[in-house]
Amino acid sequence: MKVKVVTKILEANERLAEDNKKRFRDAGVFVLNLMGAPGAGKTSLLEKTILKLKDRMSIGVIEGDIAGTDDAERINNTGVPVVQINTGGACHLDANMISEVLTEIPLKDLDMLVIENVGNLVCPAEFKVGEDMKAMVLSITEGHDKPLKYPLMFQESTALVLNKIDLLPHLDVDIDKLRKDAISLHPGIRIFEVSCKTGEGLDRWAEWLSGLR
Amino acid sequence: MHEASIALGILDIVINRCHAEGYRSIDSVTLRIGRAAGIMPEALLFTFDVAKSDSPAGDAKLLIDLVPLGGHCSGCEDDFEVEGTYVLNCPKCGSPTFQIRKGYEMEIVDMEVT
Repeated sequence: MKVKVVTKILEANERLAEDNKKRFRDAGVFVLNLMGAPGAGKTSLLEKTILKLKDRMSIGVIEGDIAGTDDAERINNTGVPVVQINTGGACHLDANMISEVLTEIPLKDLDMLVIENVGNLVCPAEFKVGEDMKAMVLSITEGHDKPLKYPLMFQESTALVLNKIDLLPHLDVDIDKLRKDAISLHPGIRIFEVSCKTGEGLDRWAEWLSGLR
Repeated sequence: MHEASIALGILDIVINRCHAEGYRSIDSVTLRIGRAAGIMPEALLFTFDVAKSDSPAGDAKLLIDLVPLGGHCSGCEDDFEVEGTYVLNCPKCGSPTFQIRKGYEMEIVDMEVT
C-alpha cells in the first residue's frame, strides 16, 4: 500500500534550528555561522576579528571540528569563552549538536556568537544551526574555480572573505573571475579581501561585522 | 558525506510514520531530490542501505526521483531547465535576470508499506 509522506528530509534539523534561533533571540545575541574549507583560515580570521572587536563587544565561540581541541585552545588564548564540539567523523555541525552545548556558553552576556563549522565546502551549507547569518572564508590559494564547483556554499553565504590576499603576486589565480562568479551565483554577496598574516583588509571586515548586530 | 545524516533523517521520518499508523514494514521509499541540492544519489543509496538494517525499513528500497535545476527568465519570459548544478545566465536568451523555481528539493514523497 502506498502512503503519502510529503515531508522535507531535513525538517527535524530545521525545527531544532528554529528552537536555537529563538534561544539566541531571547538572549539578544547575533549568531554567525562561519564556514570554509580546511586550511582556508577560519580560525585565523576569527582570532584576528576577536582581537579587533573584543574591547567593544562581547564575543563567544563554538568550535566545530572532527577531532581535537587545537582551534578551541587558539580561541581560548584570545580570552573569550569557547566551547569545542568534536563531531567524531561527521563533516558538518547540525542544530542538535549546537543545542547540546548552549548551556555551556554564557549566551545572555554575549553580543555575538560565532559558530566555526567543520572545514568543508559542501555539507555545512545544507544544515541550518539557528544562525542569523552565514559567512564563508575562501583562501585565494584554493583557486578561482571554487564558486562554480561549490555553488551552494556561495549562494548560502551573506559574506565571502577572500583570505591570504598577500599571496596574490605569487599565484595564477584569477581573482576577477572568482569575484564575478561569486556575484553571479549570489548577487549582493559582500566580498572582503583580507590577509590574516599582514592584517590587510581586516579592519573593514571587522567594522562591517560589528555593525550587524 | 552528509548523505549519512540525510539517510538517518529519512529513516527517522518513515519509521515514525510506520509505527504511528500501525504498519508492519516499509517496502520502499520515494524521494524527490533536486540536482542542485548537494546530494550524491549513489552515496545516499549506499548509506541508506547500511543505516536501514534491523528496522521496519530493513528491506526497503530507496527510489530517487531527480529534479533538474530550472527556473523562469524575466528576459525572454520563458521557462528553462539545465543539466548542471548552477545557472549564471538564462540558457535560452543569456539574460542574467531569472528566478530559480526547482532543483533544490529534498523531500520524501511517499512510501510503500505492508
